[in-house]
Amino acid sequence: MNPDLDLTLERIIRAPRAVVWSAWTEPSRFEKWWVPAPTICRVDHLEVRPGGALVTRMSEGDGDDFVPQLDAAFLVVDELERIVFTNAIDSAWRPRNPEPVVMTAEITLADHPDGTDYRVLVRHGDPASRDLHEKLGFFDGWGSVTEQLARLTESESPQ
Amino acid sequence: MAQYSAQLDEVFVALADPTRREVIRRLGRGPLSVSDLGGAFPMTLPSFMKHIRTLESTGLIRTVKSGRVRTCVLNRERLAVVDSWLAEQRRIWEERTDRLESFVTDPKENHP
Repeated sequence: MNPDLDLTLERIIRAPRAVVWSAWTEPSRFEKWWVPAPTICRVDHLEVRPGGALVTRMSEGDGDDFVPQLDAAFLVVDELERIVFTNAIDSAWRPRNPEPVVMTAEITLADHPDGTDYRVLVRHGDPASRDLHEKLGFFDGWGSVTEQLARLTESESPQ
Repeated sequence: MAQYSAQLDEVFVALADPTRREVIRRLGRGPLSVSDLGGAFPMTLPSFMKHIRTLESTGLIRTVKSGRVRTCVLNRERLAVVDSWLAEQRRIWEERTDRLESFVTDPKENHP
């Protein structure tokens, strides 16, 4: 864990571990939470095993215009316990440097008295790629909170 | 940089609360007194002051007392601390985990 490059989060989810696991491993369930509404997610491949493909597309509109979202591969899968995937290689194991960011995500599930102890550790590439993304104008929307605030504020009539 | 990360955590914790986000949003239009701000929220003044103090301790807002009136001012520079690449990724994963959580705890989606 490198705090300059990586992020961790932990959540106690009030559902059994097997239910959380199935939300990660069954395409029809995975599609329902992976991307924020109203964007629609379509799973092309969800082969939850080491080396298996994780390929998703998304549609901003009525479901006719799906564009590639994620083309990644699973590295480690421990049944009901751990999922690790990366987009540094695609689903055909070809090395990639995808937009917006290269990462390896590690999801860990453990039993908890209230349900599931759910942890995420995302390891990112080096800051050089970050600089590149900045130059490419990657930041928009909430990425610039200040700007979003300004827009929100401007769009509202004074009370 | 580790310190930066800790600052970021602080700011995100402060922004994780809907009341505090609404305060930030209102202050985006300009400075307001605590009483003008607090009147918009269904809570007692002491409860509201806790939110104000949290925002102030993270540096997201400044407050200035003049006579009996305490005025709150948004600190836009502090808010910009979250305007980073890593923060964006954190937001994506936080929201993704929120959605997973609502999905797996939704009885309609999870028949016994």
